[in-house]
Amino acid sequence: MDLEWNDNQPIYRQLRDRVVAMILDGVLKEGDSLPSVRNVAAEYRVNPITVLKGYQQLVDEELVEKRRGLGMYIKTGARDLLLRGEREKFLAEQWPTIQATIQRLGLTPEELLKNGSRRSSKADAPKEKG
Amino acid sequence: MRPFRVALMLTLSLVLVGLSTVAVAQSDAQKSFDKLKTLAGTWKGAVKATPALQDWDNALIWISLRVTSRGNAMVHEIKQPGTPDDITKDDPITMLYMDGDHLTLTHYCDAGNRPRMTAKPSPDGKTVEFEFTDVAGSTQYGHMHHAIFTFIDANHHSEDWTFMMPGDKMIQAHMDLERLK
Repeated sequence: MDLEWNDNQPIYRQLRDRVVAMILDGVLKEGDSLPSVRNVAAEYRVNPITVLKGYQQLVDEELVEKRRGLGMYIKTGARDLLLRGEREKFLAEQWPTIQATIQRLGLTPEELLKNGSRRSSKADAPKEKG
Repeated sequence: MRPFRVALMLTLSLVLVGLSTVAVAQSDAQKSFDKLKTLAGTWKGAVKATPALQDWDNALIWISLRVTSRGNAMVHEIKQPGTPDDITKDDPITMLYMDGDHLTLTHYCDAGNRPRMTAKPSPDGKTVEFEFTDVAGSTQYGHMHHAIFTFIDANHHSEDWTFMMPGDKMIQAHMDLERLK
């Protein structure tokens, strides 16, 4: 996990967001254990109560589960749950603005797909040595 | 005239009873504040969460309590052990003080808000329990909602802080504390 915190959100929320990003990126897989509150607090020099709040948020969102006497684990289906949520969020919050821009500029689906595939093939291409 | 006198006497008696009740409440609040001041110092302990997150893992914590402003206020700080003072850290500060007749605390949360809580009269003087009064600032990311200080002996006390998460779910941090100095 990254050590830098920003001032836009409380640290417990940023901690929650980092675990979520790690699940979405496949760094943390379903069934993986989360580090202990004590270790996260010590390693990232944050208040243990902050770590408790971040972990509780993940429990409330049903992304992690407590296993008695063992610790906390990423729940089965957590990634799908997150993806579903993120997709719904994108369609509700970002897509209307993007769609309005597409209509305003008169872009066709073909143009968008062509541009999208050109960009992705550029990104996939091996980088030239400088 | 007679009924008027009786009514007047009755009213005066009720006022006197009311005033004496306020006086007792005042003295209870002040007594609680004076007792809290005896906790001034540095404390070390472990945090347990309710609902339990990891029942095998009690994270360590330091608490600093300092009387300031000629005894009119007390500063309470929850810290990660061994870390220096740093404004970028998330260590919350709480100020305890008498607000008129009431023992009050204002908690300066890293979530960016400032809840106020008022102490209830303690029946046995062994605990001081604070109940939520109001909050300034956004509660988008939750807020501290309740606090209890329990006196054990000169070198031991416990604290319970209840945080209300978004969606009104509670998480309680219980700390058993031992005096360091």
